[in-house]
Amino acid sequence: MSNKINTIGIPSEEEIKKAQIDFSPRCTAAGRVNDKETQKMVEYILNFARKHSLFVLAYGTGCGAIEIPATMTSRYDAERFGIRGAATPRQADVLLITGYLSTKTLKRVIRVYEQMQDPKYVIAFGSCTINGGMYFDSYNTIKALDRYLPVDVYIAGCMPRPESVIKGFIKLQELIQNGNAGNGECYRDNLDWYRTNQQKIIKNWDFPDEYNW
Amino acid sequence: MDLIHNLKEVFEIDAKIKNDFQIEVEAKKELVSSILLYLKNQHGFIHLDHMSCVDWIEDEVFELVYIVWNPNTKKTVLLHTKIDRNKPEMENIDTIWDQANTYEREFREMYGIEFPGLVAEREFILEGWTEMPPMRRDFDTKKYAEETYATRPGRENAEDVREKIIKRTGEEIPDFAKKYSRD
Ligand code: SF4
Repeated sequence: MSNKINTIGIPSEEEIKKAQIDFSPRCTAAGRVNDKETQKMVEYILNFARKHSLFVLAYGTGCGAIEIPATMTSRYDAERFGIRGAATPRQADVLLITGYLSTKTLKRVIRVYEQMQDPKYVIAFGSCTINGGMYFDSYNTIKALDRYLPVDVYIAGCMPRPESVIKGFIKLQELIQNGNAGNGECYRDNLDWYRTNQQKIIKNWDFPDEYNW
Repeated sequence: MDLIHNLKEVFEIDAKIKNDFQIEVEAKKELVSSILLYLKNQHGFIHLDHMSCVDWIEDEVFELVYIVWNPNTKKTVLLHTKIDRNKPEMENIDTIWDQANTYEREFREMYGIEFPGLVAEREFILEGWTEMPPMRRDFDTKKYAEETYATRPGRENAEDVREKIIKRTGEEIPDFAKKYSRD
């Protein structure tokens, strides 16, 4: 096989791994072994607590924010999983990217993400964050979010319905329990790589030089 | 109709009746502001509905459309004008309607049309934009997007991949979805 990735049909597992390494070499949390035996007991209990109290930053971009009221209110009632809103980035655990991001919004989102306290998680909604979706040829929206921010869970769809949103959250809870979620530390360690990518598309860069938030 | 007659009389332009509610007028760009002022003061078209711009790259012109509305008669006038695409410049009308300021800022940013005397920040929706104004038709947005933003490799055919996904993840196709199988 040539080294061109998945030209026909669905890629095999090796090809996916290779593509992930090529494409997003940083902050793929999967692979950390952290099950009950190897994990410290304190970590285990902390993770258990974290997974049942996910404070979601009340922030929405793109079309997907419209699914959030439906997910939170009585019909789907996300609060039974411990998911609820938080008013400011510093109080929040989860950042939802609910759709396409223009470069202008991306700048604000990065700022918000950096202000959040560890442990912090990112859930990205919809095909726009995965591969550009119907904005694939737009001059002003990014096409692959994990180049600019570490993403824990992607939810496919255009737009995903509240059922899928809840499924995404449950997946995140699973990852948290296994100790595989939360890339804040990794983001800090690989800041250079992320900064290079971010600065390539954000033209009027005026962030502080040092990691000082 | 009164309006059409008056326009002919005062500005020597022909207005067309499009339908019961719309009247279409085409005018030279020098006349636009006087016509708009005349419509506003003499005929009660006190509301600027909309302004838009069309890029006719083949004819080398930008077409600007001003839509004004009369709340008493519920009639609309669509005023078209054409300006040179190579040296796009248009009269500023935000002295007639304040809200025109916003439209003109957008035209300036998205099409590069200059409005001498327009008082507003140059940067409006885009941030730090250095290319050609992006709404112009000769701006290749797909090429620009491919060069600027990282893309994720994807599938290139429409093969039914559910079998493979099942094998990989151990999930099952739910009953209701089986009937959509391709074979
Ligand atoms: S994936 Fe679809 S619904 Fe979601 S932001 Fe993109 S276009 Fe909108």
